[in-house]
Amino acid sequence: MTALVRSELLKVRTIRSWWAYLIVIVAFTGLAVAAQIGSTDGGDRGTVDFQSDLVETAGIALLLAIILGITIMTTEFRFGTVTPTFLVAPARELVIAAKAIAAAVLAIGFALLSLLVVAVVALPWLASVGAETHLLDGEIGTGAAQQILSVGLWALMGVAIGAVVQSQVAALVGTLVWIFLGETLLIGLFGLLDIDGAAAYLPFQALDAADGSGGGELLSYWPGVAVSLGWIALLGAVGVARTRRRDIT
Amino acid sequence: MIEVASLSKRFGKTQAVSDLSFRVEPGTITGFLGPNGAGKSTTLRSVLGLVHPDAGGATVLGVPYRELDRPLHRVGAVLEASEVHPGRSGRNHLRVLAAAAGIPRSRVEEVLALVELSTAAKRRVKGYSLGMRQRLGLATALLGDPEVLVLDEPANGLDPAGVRWLRDLLRSLAAEGRTILVSSHVLAEVAQTVDRVVIIHRGALVQQASIAEVLAGAQGATRVRSPDAQRLRELIAAQGGTVTDVDDRTFATDLPPERIGKVAAANGIVLHELTVERATLEEVFLELTGGETTQ
Repeated sequence: MTALVRSELLKVRTIRSWWAYLIVIVAFTGLAVAAQIGSTDGGDRGTVDFQSDLVETAGIALLLAIILGITIMTTEFRFGTVTPTFLVAPARELVIAAKAIAAAVLAIGFALLSLLVVAVVALPWLASVGAETHLLDGEIGTGAAQQILSVGLWALMGVAIGAVVQSQVAALVGTLVWIFLGETLLIGLFGLLDIDGAAAYLPFQALDAADGSGGGELLSYWPGVAVSLGWIALLGAVGVARTRRRDIT
Repeated sequence: MIEVASLSKRFGKTQAVSDLSFRVEPGTITGFLGPNGAGKSTTLRSVLGLVHPDAGGATVLGVPYRELDRPLHRVGAVLEASEVHPGRSGRNHLRVLAAAAGIPRSRVEEVLALVELSTAAKRRVKGYSLGMRQRLGLATALLGDPEVLVLDEPANGLDPAGVRWLRDLLRSLAAEGRTILVSSHVLAEVAQTVDRVVIIHRGALVQQASIAEVLAGAQGATRVRSPDAQRLRELIAAQGGTVTDVDDRTFATDLPPERIGKVAAANGIVLHELTVERATLEEVFLELTGGETTQ
């Protein structure tokens, strides 16, 4: 299993898109933090709320994590590399498990990198304008830890979706449409049917709750994590069954 | 070594393989032949546990492929030269698979040298020619130094020098005692290399034999030329032979030359020519596979 995980990590790092992930994280987080600090009045910069928002800009890692999870699975089908992969490891469920571990590890690395950029940009800047810093305080620290873990969950969700859908384009487009449109429509529908409460159990509402940022309609943290894991397990099981049954031609 | 037993597989409306059985003996190079679409790839993928047969199955080294421990060390396979990520270098492609199989990096350099790809190893596969991809595929198959090799159309896309290189490589691999199953839709590519052939057509077995047996089994015609051809024709027809005219004085028959000579001597007929026309392997192949091969 360790060998399979190492192989999966090597697969990601030996194609150029690996650098694209890193560049997007550093550039996006750096610009977002700078824009936020630059556009905020001096007095507000020292508040816990503002600095907690700064930490949340690291949320870019969530989107990259699910894209990584989907591609780590579907690239194999797209380029036919699934053939040599399954020749080395005929137990297909182990390959998927290795991909899930590798995707989660890399995604958590993305989250850490993103938080590092927040710290590198914000700490000297805030210090130079004499604002009090709370970035290392317990409250913000807990939020950051929850965010790091939720990035791992998004990566696992990506692998599960990839194993179910298998077509790279369909999985990526479908997931983005679902996140930005599908669930919003469903939430509206649930409202019409007077079952508003069910909306919080939708997969990406649960994942939202699991990043610890909270929100009125969302589940609280631990139920959010539990429901997210439930969706990941369900899709993962379907994905493993589909992949095991598939004829690799 | 490799045993296929009553294998059947249908894709949608197409019966790709039907009730196919054959054996590949240890230490031999076996050619797996048939026209395009005969079911060769489906059979090989079933042998390697990639395709689930509808009925029957296959074993490699006595067990189904999926049950092999450390399969890359037992069986090496190349199925399609294109099954490589185009953005990855040849060396990294091999390293990824070596990592999964617990094979040291030094072995990657060894197989790169063996297939003469060391200088191109750091280039991305996107820029490889088909021949280079085929050689990368062979390097993949050889990573685990396996005792069995399964190669699907490894000569596809190779130039004549490449085909010759492949032939020499396969011979030297077989000389080391390995068992090789190599498929092709072009008999000439493998005829000089293989010991035995398994010929399939429309998913079913046509023949499983040594090259010599295939040739011996082929009906060789006897060509006869005589100034008294007309009378000899009648005598042969009376003996139950079929006669095909070539020209006034020449004809071909299915009777062996011994019988013709005897008939001619007994009737005092002069012969100018009495030769056996061996069917070539290519002709036999075309005949066995219904002449549908394109090359």
